[in-house]
Amino acid sequence: MSASSPSFRAWLTAEVTTSPRHASIQRFYYGWLRLRANPLALIGLLILLGLILVAILAPVIAPVGPNDQDLNRRLLPPSAAHWFGTDELGRDVFARVVYGSRITLYISFLVAIIAAPIGLAVGTTAGYFGGWTDTVLMRINDVFLSFPGLILALGFVAALGPGIENAVIAIALTAWPPIARLARAETLTVRSSDYIAAVRIQGASPARIILRHIVPMCVPSVVVRITLNMAGIILTAAGLGFLGLGAQPPLPEWGAMLSTGRQNMLGAWWLAAIPGLAILLTSLAFNLFGDGLRDVLDPRSE
Amino acid sequence: MPTTVRAAFAATLLSAGLLSGAAAIAPQAQATTPRDALVMAWNLDALITFDPAQIAEVNGNDIIRNVCEPLVNYDLTDVSKILPNTAASWSVSDDGLIITLKLRPDLQFPSGKKATAYDAEWSMHRVIHLGFGNSANFTQWGFSRDNAAETIKATDDTTLVVTLAKPYPIGLILSAMFASGSTGIMDKEEGLKNARVTDGKSDFGNAFFKTAPICVGAYRVTRWNTNEVVILERNENYWGEKAKLRRVIIRHVPESGAQRLLLEKGDIDVARLLNTDDLRALAKNPAIHVETTVMHGYAYLAFNGGDPILGKPLVREAFRYLIDYEGLGKTILEYQGNPRASLVPEGAFGALDIKEGQPFKLDLAKARALITEAGFPDGFTKKYIVSANNIAPIVAQHIQANAAKIGIKLELEQMADANLFTRARSRDFEVLQIGWGAGYPDADSMISRHAVNPDNRPEARLAQYPSWRSSWQDEKVNEMAEDARMERDPAKRIAMYHEIQRYMMKNGPMAYIYQTVRPIAVRKEVKGFAMTPFNVVYRTAGK
Amino acid sequence: MAGTETTARPAAGESPAAGMRWLKLAGRQVASVAVTLLGLLALTFFMGRMLPIDPVIAIIGEQAEKETYDMVFAQLGLDQPLYVQFWRFIRDMMTGQFGDALFTGNKVADDLRRVFPATIELATVSIIIGVGLGVPFGMLAAVYRGSLLDHVARFIGLLGYSSPNFWLGLMGLILFYATLGWVSGPGRLDVMFIDMVEPVTGMLLIDSLLAGEPEVFWDAFSHIVLPASILGYSSMAYISRMTRSFMLEQLSQEYITAARVKGMSRWRVVWRHAFRNILVQLVTVIALAYAFLLEGAVLTETVFAWPGFGRYLTSGLLAGDMNAVLACVLIIGIIFVGLNLLSDLLYRTLDPRTR
Repeated sequence: MSASSPSFRAWLTAEVTTSPRHASIQRFYYGWLRLRANPLALIGLLILLGLILVAILAPVIAPVGPNDQDLNRRLLPPSAAHWFGTDELGRDVFARVVYGSRITLYISFLVAIIAAPIGLAVGTTAGYFGGWTDTVLMRINDVFLSFPGLILALGFVAALGPGIENAVIAIALTAWPPIARLARAETLTVRSSDYIAAVRIQGASPARIILRHIVPMCVPSVVVRITLNMAGIILTAAGLGFLGLGAQPPLPEWGAMLSTGRQNMLGAWWLAAIPGLAILLTSLAFNLFGDGLRDVLDPRSE
Repeated sequence: MPTTVRAAFAATLLSAGLLSGAAAIAPQAQATTPRDALVMAWNLDALITFDPAQIAEVNGNDIIRNVCEPLVNYDLTDVSKILPNTAASWSVSDDGLIITLKLRPDLQFPSGKKATAYDAEWSMHRVIHLGFGNSANFTQWGFSRDNAAETIKATDDTTLVVTLAKPYPIGLILSAMFASGSTGIMDKEEGLKNARVTDGKSDFGNAFFKTAPICVGAYRVTRWNTNEVVILERNENYWGEKAKLRRVIIRHVPESGAQRLLLEKGDIDVARLLNTDDLRALAKNPAIHVETTVMHGYAYLAFNGGDPILGKPLVREAFRYLIDYEGLGKTILEYQGNPRASLVPEGAFGALDIKEGQPFKLDLAKARALITEAGFPDGFTKKYIVSANNIAPIVAQHIQANAAKIGIKLELEQMADANLFTRARSRDFEVLQIGWGAGYPDADSMISRHAVNPDNRPEARLAQYPSWRSSWQDEKVNEMAEDARMERDPAKRIAMYHEIQRYMMKNGPMAYIYQTVRPIAVRKEVKGFAMTPFNVVYRTAGK
Repeated sequence: MAGTETTARPAAGESPAAGMRWLKLAGRQVASVAVTLLGLLALTFFMGRMLPIDPVIAIIGEQAEKETYDMVFAQLGLDQPLYVQFWRFIRDMMTGQFGDALFTGNKVADDLRRVFPATIELATVSIIIGVGLGVPFGMLAAVYRGSLLDHVARFIGLLGYSSPNFWLGLMGLILFYATLGWVSGPGRLDVMFIDMVEPVTGMLLIDSLLAGEPEVFWDAFSHIVLPASILGYSSMAYISRMTRSFMLEQLSQEYITAARVKGMSRWRVVWRHAFRNILVQLVTVIALAYAFLLEGAVLTETVFAWPGFGRYLTSGLLAGDMNAVLACVLIIGIIFVGLNLLSDLLYRTLDPRTR
């Protein structure tokens, strides 16, 4: 990077880049401009950032702790004292929804960092080696794909037992197949290109080729796919929580809150309405942002 | 917009409109129940059979007592009194070992066929031979497959002679054995005709009777659609006063909110499963009458005596002070339970009175002092398993929160009832919150299972003894319980049971939380629907 | 969402050889499906082995002695090596011997036969709503791309993707049942009408009309309309999105511009040419959407106490009933694979490009 660049903006929009780092930063900048032009995607991003902010600042935002019980203030409707009312143990629903954002982000993040590497590993390996490796790996992939996500997750959680960690594992097991499929498709298009051949001639081992050259090519579409699938992952997690199979009490997981909301459906509508809205908003945000991301990173696919 | 597009648009809107409009104007189901039927709403999930030998859950027990009536029955106003039912009278020999029952001569099955003591004898034998949980009603008094033929014998059409192994007090045997659901008189001929034999062993008609038993009772089962509905019809050949309503229709409605709405609209007469808030709302409704019956059942905490920390009596005692009995009783337990710490339920023969039966209150300081004395001043971490149903998780979270305040971290895990029972029965728990229903209204019922433990070794596998499940055995209590059981002087018996209760409240392996209360909501037009802790009588209900 | 596998198609226009090739490819497809099914079975078997419930205790109860325990243990084949158990498992599953459901006391196969029609009815009504609303919306959105209508349609669809459908069900019940009283509450039919109608097809709406019982029909209708609308909404989201996408692909083709230049009106072009061309893809999409309804039904049926397959699965799950849960999971997997296969074969057969 030249130390005597005229101005930051000029450097960003320079026609000719001076280093690989410069090139990637520039790509990022242009991508950001395109994203910014898409209002819906921007809204999605803002909601997500807001969610992260709420999760980080939960102790500051929430008026009381999420587990502070008060048996004398049960099932109160929304009011100035309790913005979202209280639940069956007198806990403040607003506080619980706010802290619940942490659990949602925790689950989403964990699922993403488990499913993506597995999917990438399986997909690129299958695509690169072809032959029997490909067939076997893709068969396994198809088996997982042939169950709808919720059903497979239900099956695994039934087997592993309830709890937030088991729920994460179960959901991750349903989330990696689409990633693997995508990575494989990308690998197939890239594998016969000249520069891969060149690297191979130079004596690079398959592992090195895959890791350093093929995987980076797959990353953008994988990121897009994971973001788009995140909405479904959150809904699956909420479904598991609704059935009591996810986070255990007293954790304020939104899906679990919906389950008690259902039991009090007639008398206390806020217990059901509000956590559901939170889930909807988060899922929507991922969908909007993912759509925008796809337009930016992968405009040829629809 | 061009006409075609407008047309398409209009078509879409029109169909959407039609859909909602049709739903709105569709004639709603009639708002009153049929005049000749009692319509109840309940949760029929647990109902898996109507064979009295096998029924082990609340719904089945409730229904079967109206279909296969026991030999004697509990007085509707005082369950410690026993009244004749299909057995008209009984007498005891001087040594207290032989009980002779005289059955009514006018007993008939719904088909009109005469029911005799031979049917009664066979009905009881099959419960013992089939070996399901209900066989304990007999086996705990010494009856077994080997001796049943001799010890329970019909000598003629109306006489049944029962020989006891020990001279138990007659009141106890009547209450515990003869009034139980296992003495319903079933049709022996039909049972033998339809019995299935596998590997040389007969199923005594278990498969045949699963969908509809053939018994002496005020009603018979005419239809059962799993998880949908059960329909009972009046037995026109009943020996007693015929049932007022021709049919009883029991609908499966697993949601409290849905039951409440159905009741308010008049689509059902009786709602059997309602949560506290729905009950509160219904209590204010002038068309509806809410009543509660105090059951002889509990929700309690069990501690694993084999655990190094929970095995210490001081630690277990500390837990008694972590439960806000008073607070729970006024809020969450309203309509669901009465706080109680003694292991003998209020209303049973030999129970401590209400005040003495619940001497604890929330006292974090005292709890902390107790665990410090036990050697754990900073608390500890344990796993806490509980059922996911009804108010169990709510109560559990309450205890969890209180325990956290003195450093005890309880990691909750909710699970299905089936899982919970599996874990409890195999001693696979640290802290367990579970329920238990006493079999008969005598202190012996709870004490013989929760306090007495004949054999604490793991190999003994006495999973039907909660005391064994908690790895707790106290020889002193075993002896006291046996003495009290055989004591024939009622006043002395009561005193002995009081002593046992006081001892268990301080040292026992359980912390009892509340005695269950069964609430129902009934429409005012329905009269005579009688509920007692052990008996719900349909035939006296009328509109 | 599961995508369909794309494999090479035979070149168009070579008749008898093309026929043979189609057969070969179809055959290979079916064989591949068989392997997938085997994998399904293996996965389900594996899940079953992980369950924390002792299947022996579940059958004989807690009071049984050790001899009974050992006897039933051997009876269930649990003492055999794993591959023998797996073989028995495959044999049982393929012959429909799913074992006994502990929480209903019936055979799982009988239970499934009882609950399936209810779900089929719900899914069918839902797909009708989904297609009836989704296709027009998708087409309008494509034709008027970029307009307000397009954005509104896409946003409504997006909401459909993003909402937890069991929550929508709850909100629907609170609003339309508890507050407004427009529809009936949870359940399939009022107790008044049970057994009034002979089960011919298993679908109450049809059977009641066949039996000439309009009251029963209306009651069944008022019970199904809300859950079907909720499920239909999610399929509508998916179907309209795919319709729009297919239409856009067609509309950008040259033949469309050519036809327009020749003077054909816009909508004539759309109906006569574009729509016909996407029909095949649409049918396959609808088959997939039908399969996804099964997944959506699981929680929706629970909320609406609908006595179908989904509620059976969750009840079994909550009761810890291994036989019921595994049978359900396996069956859904098979249906999914079957519908995927069907839609793939349909595509291959009907796509004019492969002729």
